[in-house]
Amino acid sequence: MTPALLDAPAEDRLAAAIGEMARRSSSAVAIVAQAGSAARCTIDYGWLSRAIVSLEAGIDAGRPVGIVARAARVETLVVIAAACGRQHVPVAFLAEDSRDLVGQLRDWVEVDDSLSLPAAAAGERGRREFETVPPQVIVATSGTSGPPKLVDHSWDSLLAAARLAEHWHGLGWLLAYDATRWAGIQVWVQALLTGGRLVVPASRDPDVVARALVEESVAILPATPTLLRRLLTSADRGLLCRSGLDRITLGGEAADAALLEEAQATFPQAKITQVYATTELGEVYRVADGRAGFPAAWLGKALPGCVRLAVRRDGELLVRLSRDTAEVGTGDLVQRRADRYEFTGRRSDVIVVGGAKVYPKRVEEIVRGVPGVAECRIYGLPSPVTGELVAGEIALADPLPENATPESVRAAVLAVCREHLEPHSVPRILDIVKQIATTPAGKTPRKPHS
Amino acid sequence: MRPDVPNAIVTAIATVLRDTGRDTRPIESGMLLAGDLGLDSLDLAQTIVLLERSLGCDPFRSASTSRSVRTVADLIAIYDSAVAPGAS
Repeated sequence: MTPALLDAPAEDRLAAAIGEMARRSSSAVAIVAQAGSAARCTIDYGWLSRAIVSLEAGIDAGRPVGIVARAARVETLVVIAAACGRQHVPVAFLAEDSRDLVGQLRDWVEVDDSLSLPAAAAGERGRREFETVPPQVIVATSGTSGPPKLVDHSWDSLLAAARLAEHWHGLGWLLAYDATRWAGIQVWVQALLTGGRLVVPASRDPDVVARALVEESVAILPATPTLLRRLLTSADRGLLCRSGLDRITLGGEAADAALLEEAQATFPQAKITQVYATTELGEVYRVADGRAGFPAAWLGKALPGCVRLAVRRDGELLVRLSRDTAEVGTGDLVQRRADRYEFTGRRSDVIVVGGAKVYPKRVEEIVRGVPGVAECRIYGLPSPVTGELVAGEIALADPLPENATPESVRAAVLAVCREHLEPHSVPRILDIVKQIATTPAGKTPRKPHS
Repeated sequence: MRPDVPNAIVTAIATVLRDTGRDTRPIESGMLLAGDLGLDSLDLAQTIVLLERSLGCDPFRSASTSRSVRTVADLIAIYDSAVAPGAS
């Protein structure tokens, strides 16, 4: 990205970067769609740039109040976002589970994969002399901790975490996240701002993702620990080992030591970074030492960006972003283990059994260590007797260890839990399932049935 | 078809004993849940979830169930009336 581009207002930069890339090399691949499948196809920077200019002309003619990006294809989302940004029109991304929220965006215009503005788009708004309110980006929350709701972001906050230095340019990025959610939008914005290739797998099937990684020479994999774990436990090993990943960026959930070790063993050349961010605070810190949690020595010290961390008596991690802002509770619980603070889970995920607390993440770590278990999740089930009861699901390894049966693996899980956990923490309901469900945001669900 | 309540209850208790690593033994209706079978409140909570799955009801969720549950027979009686035709 040229210095001139960096000086451009945040909302103009996506369109400008794509336009510049198109001028330099119109046929350079911007997006690989349906990657890892026979339906694979590519979209180049020239096409993106032309589509943006064409949509901008329509927006300029109609001046809609705002545009709802109702597209299934990632390239369409990119075009809508870039055109809205440069035309200073607010844009909203609504994921599948938040489509009902469109009613809150009165008089907004919907644009789908055809990229045509409805004729009625010619609004009453007209061109304003001064833009007093910065054009915003509206995204629905994933609804993990409540029903989905619309959150207002600025282009500045969307671009805040983007890595723009030269060595980040021209790389292959895998889009493991839903393209309409905050985490996914950040990935495609990052890839296209830096003249990179965005690789969109045809599905979340672990083998499809693994094929996309290898066939498209993906360098960077941003994912949640849950998505990475699924890839490591369920995808073809031979395929995974051929991938040339340079970097894995984990976020959205805490990663445990076992997952970090396994990931490093599978991708020995990859640098693994854990990003700690919250919806309210944005990115707080990054750790890249391959260990779970963060160094205990960080407490009370000023971290990059003047961030300060503290731990409340009850174990909740507190963050102060700068001297002038208040300390904010994160809802994440941490526990000191030797020279680290490790995450024990979200405060809202804690299961209370007869007044005693159970941290599902800790139980999951133990269950995952049992031979024959590929994946698991632990959650609280309401009980009229004890308030809640620890329940869980396990997905079995394929193939199972020698001489093991599904029933023997299940019995082994319970026996190992009895050995390592207090009686109230041992799962009382343990089901064998084909696959552990993930939330739309790619996390492990903590509700009985999502 | 009316579900076999006694059989479902015996199966649920046997599952609880097996899942918690205890010896399974013949379960009879006159047995005391705590005294004879050694079931604690967690065991009872598990039994209730298992029965909700096999019988499709949880009579303990409604506040009206305030009867004391001491024996296997007490449990059978409560579920019998809960699955009876016309019962909610």
